[in-house]
Amino acid sequence: MLRFVLQRIGYGAVVIVLVGVVVFVVTHLVTNPVQAMLPLEASAAQRRALTHQLGLDRPLPVQFVDYVTHVSRLDFGTSLWQRRPALQIIGERLPYTLELVMVAMVVASALGLLLGAVAALRPGGLVDRLIVTLSVAGLSVPQFWLGLLLIVLFAVNLHWLPTSGAGDLRYLVLPVVTLAMPSIANLAMMVRSSMIDELNQQYVRFAVAKGLGRARVVGVHALRNASIPALTLAGWELIRALAGYTVVVEVVFGWPGLGHLAMDAIERQDITLLQAIVLVVAVMVVVINVAIDVLYKAIDPRVNLG
Amino acid sequence: MGRRLGVVGGQLPASLILIGTLLLAACQSGGQQPTASAARITIALGSEPTTLDPLARDDGNERAVTDNIYETLIKRTADGKLEPGLATAMPTQVNPTTWEFKLRRGIKFTDGEPLNADAVVATVQRVLDPSFKSEQLSFLGSITGAKKVDETTVDIISRDPNPLVPASMYWLRIAPPRALRDPNFASKPVGTGPYVLEQWVKGDHITLKANPNYWGPKPPIQEVTYRFVEEPGTRLSGLLNGEFDLIENLSPDDASRAPKVATVDGGQNSLVILNTMSGITADPRVRAALNYAVDKQALASKLFDGYATVENCQFMSPDWFGYNPSLQPIPYDPTRAKQLLQEANATGASIDLTSTSGRWLKDREETEAIADYWRAVGLKVNVSILEFNDYLNRLFDQKNRPQAIFLDHDNALFDASRTMDAYFARGGTGTSNNDPQLTQLVNAGDKELNQQARLQDYQQAAKIACDGSYFTFLVRLKDVYGLSKRLVWRPRTDGKIFVSEMRLTS
Repeated sequence: MLRFVLQRIGYGAVVIVLVGVVVFVVTHLVTNPVQAMLPLEASAAQRRALTHQLGLDRPLPVQFVDYVTHVSRLDFGTSLWQRRPALQIIGERLPYTLELVMVAMVVASALGLLLGAVAALRPGGLVDRLIVTLSVAGLSVPQFWLGLLLIVLFAVNLHWLPTSGAGDLRYLVLPVVTLAMPSIANLAMMVRSSMIDELNQQYVRFAVAKGLGRARVVGVHALRNASIPALTLAGWELIRALAGYTVVVEVVFGWPGLGHLAMDAIERQDITLLQAIVLVVAVMVVVINVAIDVLYKAIDPRVNLG
Repeated sequence: MGRRLGVVGGQLPASLILIGTLLLAACQSGGQQPTASAARITIALGSEPTTLDPLARDDGNERAVTDNIYETLIKRTADGKLEPGLATAMPTQVNPTTWEFKLRRGIKFTDGEPLNADAVVATVQRVLDPSFKSEQLSFLGSITGAKKVDETTVDIISRDPNPLVPASMYWLRIAPPRALRDPNFASKPVGTGPYVLEQWVKGDHITLKANPNYWGPKPPIQEVTYRFVEEPGTRLSGLLNGEFDLIENLSPDDASRAPKVATVDGGQNSLVILNTMSGITADPRVRAALNYAVDKQALASKLFDGYATVENCQFMSPDWFGYNPSLQPIPYDPTRAKQLLQEANATGASIDLTSTSGRWLKDREETEAIADYWRAVGLKVNVSILEFNDYLNRLFDQKNRPQAIFLDHDNALFDASRTMDAYFARGGTGTSNNDPQLTQLVNAGDKELNQQARLQDYQQAAKIACDGSYFTFLVRLKDVYGLSKRLVWRPRTDGKIFVSEMRLTS
């Protein structure tokens, strides 16, 4: 088991290094921070001067070695725009994203499991068809649009909730629902199909035949087994939310998290901040991945993940 | 999927209950109804200020906040006229490279330091220090330093005769020497202005409250909170939901939905820079045709829903120094355009039009409309919409000038030198002509200390560019703000958002 864990961590480290290199090269090749920082009417000489002061006129390999040296000392550089350590800025914003993602994933797991199980009870029935249709809708609706729709409905028309920002629980509701929507749908579909499988298994029929109550058979035995594949999927949903969906959701709801920060960094071509964000997210993704693999193996020792 | 041992199933009901409680609590606590405190407002900015250091960056969101904390030696009226701010009067020129400012007495920064010559000298030194990497240098021209004459007199010195110093001083926010040395200065602003920083929750909001010791008239608004909302739809929703009192950059398409709209003739003028050195655009008849072909009035009234006006053949606003009031828009006359193209033997020729998307209001749509007008008079138009960085590479490319490139120009200095240095004169970042007379006029104007002669230089240059159709002259956008019903405010032509100029209806 220890060897398995170490091996996973080793792979993860390679991934992080590769991501770091690719992000460095791509950001340096396709951006020109100085052009974005100075007004259009700044003179060519002023552009050259700032480029030099920021060290961006050095050959790329020199900049790369410099970057690697600093990162190896856990120094992720200074944001070009904010002129503060990138890691400090990320530290201010990450808790917001974690709060949003964690609550959304708990909501998604709970609702996904519940809806999937209910749908599986009577496949083809009215409830099942309703849940399947809603799941397909939940999967296909663009989050950007869903977010704005919820704002118009619950904030502008009903005045129940605020449109944007962070604060008490009310501020969390709409972004959480928007972020959780595709995950709820995905999980519900997955739980539904494995639940249908389980309910057709012999042990279920046997348990029923033995006189166990249907509620207990479905709610405990079948659901427990059906929820295992859902665990893996939930892990993936967590990663997708953390490393992608949050950008859209945070921008729409003005949520002060890491995704919003990443969007700002891209728009402003703040390459040091962007590199740091991508590295931090890459580390989180790798850690979650390792955790899922290990958990999976712990649950089922027969699993051979290589 | 095979069967696996279950370990997590048992924990799920607990999380279900937790979430149920969360949602229930959220619904019960009801909606956002802002408490109706008389003197508190909320402004939604498009993005968070990168810093509250007033000397470091070229960032409109930073200015929107710090303009209320810091003050300048010279300021502008709401209509754009220069007037004394922290100075007692407009500066006097003591020699060609030196302007002398007299400071108001008895003003203190919020940390107790006095506003005096030392503060001005420290501020100028800070912004010019190369290791400080200020992005505001292009607003300061050839200023090289400041010298204390006595406690309340200070000289601003430049390398060349610099007629722009008074206008530049509207840019330079004055800070006290001790605070400038504080490593946390960027998040702990210390100014002389009507407001002071109360709280900055990074990423979420900034709150300012009225400065109790302000030297000027007490502002009606006691507290202002800035929120950062990038998505225009969300900003508008927040305004409609009563969370915001003021939102900027309201899209003309949304203006009818806002509770109240305030507009002002802004400083954004759109144009197409034509390459007068090569290709079909080297022929002045073709360039004239490209102007006659476009229905500017339709762009203003249809594309921009009336939130734009046809500009007068110079892509400058009337309140900029150097504006030429005698120039008139080139009329929409497609017949004349076709005729000119025929005379130039250019009918059916192709032209490349470069532009970008998402940088300026409806930039792509305006470009496409221009291309259609050009097609309608018999040209083949190849439009390339580039990502902004590629677009800038193209705009700044000195070796191979683009044939026609769309641009939205604004000029925060309100002085033609900034416009013409960049787009008229040789060596300008976006100049596409090689007319020696233009370069000579602009260079002369940049150093001319006699205001009347200087005005004539720029007005003459503007006339040459208009007569020669060096550009396709288009429209000037209005700045559009969405206001809550209770907020009373008149926007300024310089785009500054001074909270001290706002009040609430009783």
